[in-house]
Amino acid sequence: MKYFLYGGCSLEAGGKNYMVSLEPVCKALGMEFEEIEDWNCCGASISYAGANELSIMTLNARNIAIAESTGGYDIVAPCSSCYIQLVKTNHELKEDAELRNKINVILKEGNLNFKGSLNVRHLMDVLYNDGGIDKIKSTAVRPLKGLKVAGYVGCQTVRPYGEYDSVERPKVHDLLLKAIGADPVPFPKKMQCCGSGIFLTELDRCLGLVKEILDDAIANGAQLISTVCPMCALNLEMYQDKVNAKFGTNFNMPVVYLTQLMAVAFGMDLKKEAALDYCVIPPEGIIKAAIGG
Amino acid sequence: MDKNIGIYICTGCGIGDMLDCDPIAEMASDEYSVSICKNHPFLCGAEGVDLIKKDIEGEGVNTIIIAACSPRVNYDVFDFGQDKIIERVNFREHVAWSQAEKDENTQMLAEDYIKMACAKIGRTDLPEPFKAEEEYSKDILVVGGGVAGMTAALETAKAGYNAILVEKDPKLGGFLAKMKKNVTLPYKDISDTGAEAMIKAVSDNPKIKVYTSAAVEKISGGPGIFSVEIKANGNSATERAGAIVQATGWVPYDANKLGHLGYGKFKNVITNVEMEEMAAAGKITRPSDGKDVKNVLFIQCAGSRDPEHLPYCSSSCCLVSMKQATYVKEQNPEAVNYILYKDIRTVGQSEDFYRKAQMDGNVFIRGSVEEVGESGGNLYVSANDELLGEKIKIEELDLVVLAVGMVPRSLPAEIPKIKAPSDSKEADADGMIEVKPDSGFFATSALNLAYRQGPELPTLKYGFPDSHFICFPYETRRTGIYSAGCIRRPMEVGKAKDDATGAAMKAIQCIEATSIGMAVHPRAGDISYPEFNMSRCTQCKRCTEECPFGAINEDEKGNPLPSPTRCRRCGTCMGACPERIISFKNYSVGMIGDMLKAVSVPEEDEEKPRVIVFVCENDAYPAVDMAGIKKMNWSPYVRFVPVRCLGSIALVWVADALARGIDGLLFMGCRHGDDYQCHFVKGSELANTRLSKVSETLDRLSLESDRVKFIEVGITDCDKVPAIISEFMETIESVGPNPYKGW
Amino acid sequence: MAGNYDPSFAKEVFDNVDSGEEIKMCMQCGICAGSCPLRHEMDYPPRQIFTLIRAGRRDEVMNSKAIKLCTSCYRCKVRCPRGIPVIDVMHGLAHYGIKKGIIPRKGTAAFGGEFWKMIYNIGRIDEKTLPLKYNLLEGLVPGIKSTIEMAPMGIQMFLHHRMKLLPERKIKGIKELRKMLDKAKEMGKGGAN
Repeated sequence: MKYFLYGGCSLEAGGKNYMVSLEPVCKALGMEFEEIEDWNCCGASISYAGANELSIMTLNARNIAIAESTGGYDIVAPCSSCYIQLVKTNHELKEDAELRNKINVILKEGNLNFKGSLNVRHLMDVLYNDGGIDKIKSTAVRPLKGLKVAGYVGCQTVRPYGEYDSVERPKVHDLLLKAIGADPVPFPKKMQCCGSGIFLTELDRCLGLVKEILDDAIANGAQLISTVCPMCALNLEMYQDKVNAKFGTNFNMPVVYLTQLMAVAFGMDLKKEAALDYCVIPPEGIIKAAIGG
Repeated sequence: MDKNIGIYICTGCGIGDMLDCDPIAEMASDEYSVSICKNHPFLCGAEGVDLIKKDIEGEGVNTIIIAACSPRVNYDVFDFGQDKIIERVNFREHVAWSQAEKDENTQMLAEDYIKMACAKIGRTDLPEPFKAEEEYSKDILVVGGGVAGMTAALETAKAGYNAILVEKDPKLGGFLAKMKKNVTLPYKDISDTGAEAMIKAVSDNPKIKVYTSAAVEKISGGPGIFSVEIKANGNSATERAGAIVQATGWVPYDANKLGHLGYGKFKNVITNVEMEEMAAAGKITRPSDGKDVKNVLFIQCAGSRDPEHLPYCSSSCCLVSMKQATYVKEQNPEAVNYILYKDIRTVGQSEDFYRKAQMDGNVFIRGSVEEVGESGGNLYVSANDELLGEKIKIEELDLVVLAVGMVPRSLPAEIPKIKAPSDSKEADADGMIEVKPDSGFFATSALNLAYRQGPELPTLKYGFPDSHFICFPYETRRTGIYSAGCIRRPMEVGKAKDDATGAAMKAIQCIEATSIGMAVHPRAGDISYPEFNMSRCTQCKRCTEECPFGAINEDEKGNPLPSPTRCRRCGTCMGACPERIISFKNYSVGMIGDMLKAVSVPEEDEEKPRVIVFVCENDAYPAVDMAGIKKMNWSPYVRFVPVRCLGSIALVWVADALARGIDGLLFMGCRHGDDYQCHFVKGSELANTRLSKVSETLDRLSLESDRVKFIEVGITDCDKVPAIISEFMETIESVGPNPYKGW
Repeated sequence: MAGNYDPSFAKEVFDNVDSGEEIKMCMQCGICAGSCPLRHEMDYPPRQIFTLIRAGRRDEVMNSKAIKLCTSCYRCKVRCPRGIPVIDVMHGLAHYGIKKGIIPRKGTAAFGGEFWKMIYNIGRIDEKTLPLKYNLLEGLVPGIKSTIEMAPMGIQMFLHHRMKLLPERKIKGIKELRKMLDKAKEMGKGGAN
């Protein structure tokens, strides 16, 4: 299966471990990626401070239009923030002819045209529906037996249109964790927002959100948190010191990408492919214990 | 009729595993000389039914006792024609599924039920359908020519029947014809009312005879044989009808009582009806100076949902205000409409019109009015904005529209008074008391029934003449007279049309059933009817007073004059009659009395008490059945006796049963009171009243009053049935055995 | 004192704010407030912002904390029974406030502004320089202080290969992109200004 991969800005930097691990994992599941040529930033959720709705939509329409002009594959976005921007634009432009005409007037400035022929999908959707639980199970030669994982879904991963999972009670993340032998713990806060794009600028208000999520994971016996979004990963992992300082807590909870765990389960190299050494809070010890290394 | 009895016991559905059926057959042949008594493992199957049919043909069996499942099921399978007496004994739900296996007590219970069935058929005769002397009419009288009345007439005609439409105004159409536009299905926008087309359709229809500027002067007779005197334009006419639809509609709540909202004080405060009339006449302007209107405020629930005024919701005023806001915007797109509401109630699909009103930019404010005032020639409204959490003031208003609710055109402007009973605490200085809305004394001159219980339909609280709005819409407490549209409950045009169609269908059912002597619901299909042994009547008037449907008139001497086509066959008159002169061919005081006598009463030292449970056939009996279906257990000492309605119970049963040594009697009937669930409206209430007087009987016998108990059981109360029985059995145990055992 | 209703602000919002007209459909159920992760930090829940707009309270709305605190989690949009994209309305109001100079370019407004500028300049986001630029917006001294505060995190990211060493370069089609964005600004609701 071939796809366009829209990695976005984060996956080249802060979310590098996501990119490093997802490529071999997807390859092992028979997926092939083509980068959207000369892609631009999706605008994320914070651009509204600098631009209007139409401008942000333009960013995403350009990326989709470039993809449309070069091939007929689904666009896969591993970053939830990129995903939601792309899927929202795609959805609204397909639904609303008037808006589509407006955007095409704008895209004409760059000799592009939005046709609405492609689907935008989250990586988790592709892993679950195209890769499939059976294939993942059979590829997981080194299952993460008994590893207690809090499968953090976050907000933008399944919202707002509920394309592949319930927007209120998502289950795909946990099913994928189960497929690689891990033990997803109950995690009521799996959908609570981490603070996302305003985390940095509203730090004091958002640290509490992260604390609640970490508290919930620990209360339910999780050894580490799995995510599928670089923003969530960053906020949950990198700010634990600040949470500890503010609330007098003692968090030291590893946060990894689902694809990192999958790479481990698929028997891949813990550093080169699973990129475990990219994590600031080291997960190696816990993971090695689970795989009996 | 010479009865040739056959008893057929089904041993299927587990009955054969629980009971020894052979001794039961022996007992029946010994004690009741029943020659044919057979078992079959699958009686409702083709072979089982054939077995009975062969005996009917070969042996001349004409009275059949079927001891099998509940009579509530397989009634079609065990139908052997109107010339046979069929008695069903509930061996499955009431014995096999709820009692201990092969137990002595279970066996005695089954034997008792067979004995009771034998006693019952001993007093049963084949009913013959009633046929009035007059010729039956199949025409339908519709009173009221608004949207509901016109629809009822048109639907009647469409179904092939003739309609007679009586309208008080010179022109048909009612409120529909006074409206500018309408909001109806699919509730996306306002639309033409269609009143003129509808009036034309009615006027052109050869099956509809229209009287305008007309009133019904008098209605006598009953379903199938109504005689209607109509006065139209000063001329009198007489029509005959088989059934009646009352669609006399509504009047707006009197805004003069809404002085606190500025009505009567400021010219620019008007009602929604006045707003509609102004819009229909052409242009919406300020009544004070005829100037254009730019800012309009609608006050929702003006007097509605207010205990001081109309306590209920009229369900259409929200939609009407949104419609009128649309008129304002159409007239001037820059105009601003404020809608001050308690709750927006646009039910069902009409929610879509609320969406439209929102999209149009109307300003919805949830809150309550504090003051309506005037300043500089414009109105202002101060309100408590609940969602803003602040007091607000909206100024520069050209018009304030009060969305007043609907009052049924059945409630008189002044509540009539009658002479109060001597012990009444509510009597005024003149010794008079207000007539309660449901007492049947309202005279609004819509129908002018020549009925002993009053000229109009009895109404529920607030004056709506419904009888059982949950289960039987359109039914009123006068058989063959159905209510539709806003007289039944407040509603908008779309719903009124549905309502009128439903009522017309009920009227047709009534005509057809009556013409072959059958009852209408809830005993639809029943051909029995009460017969009066007049030679023993003492003119006590209890039957004429208590009949919940006003079926019995009386002559000057107080003798009852029954109208069988008005009868619903509940038996309330039978229970009311102290002389026991009223009975049905297949239901009588004596018949139940014999059933009670058939119950075996073991000696005191056997420690097997006996309790009779009288169960209402409509709700309590199905509840007991369902408890059986759920395999719940209860005491083997109780014997259920189904009754048509608890209103038919006779106190003599209590005395007879207790005198025989029965330890207790439990009465399971429907809920009564304001939100009654009795299928016959007053039956359970009357039973409760009668039982409250039973202490006299008990005192005479020196028995404890705990032995007789009335309990309300709804159809959904099946889970409670075993507990109710256990509790009563405990009471009986604590008061001890009935000392009359063995007498 | 009774506040007066003034429909002119509502009209301003319908006409000039992205997704502003969507609030007409609000029926004040409050599910947006119940779903918002930062509701406890807001002065008014979203539904009350809509009521204030209806009542014409321009100052209270435009100066509210609420319109600046959206985390973009989409929960309100998913749950709104009237299908109002509450998140888009909140973003629209914040954008309008910034554009009109009512919301000062501080905090999220400043960060988002820099974010957009970077997109406009190079077409992508450079994660290592963005926070730096944002910090410096606060003024040189506090900016340096914030940068030093954040330095340990940056160093950690760097040590774990999660910082791109080379500066992000402009995308090839940056000129066309800018032309498009200029056009989009012009064609957007309320025009370029």
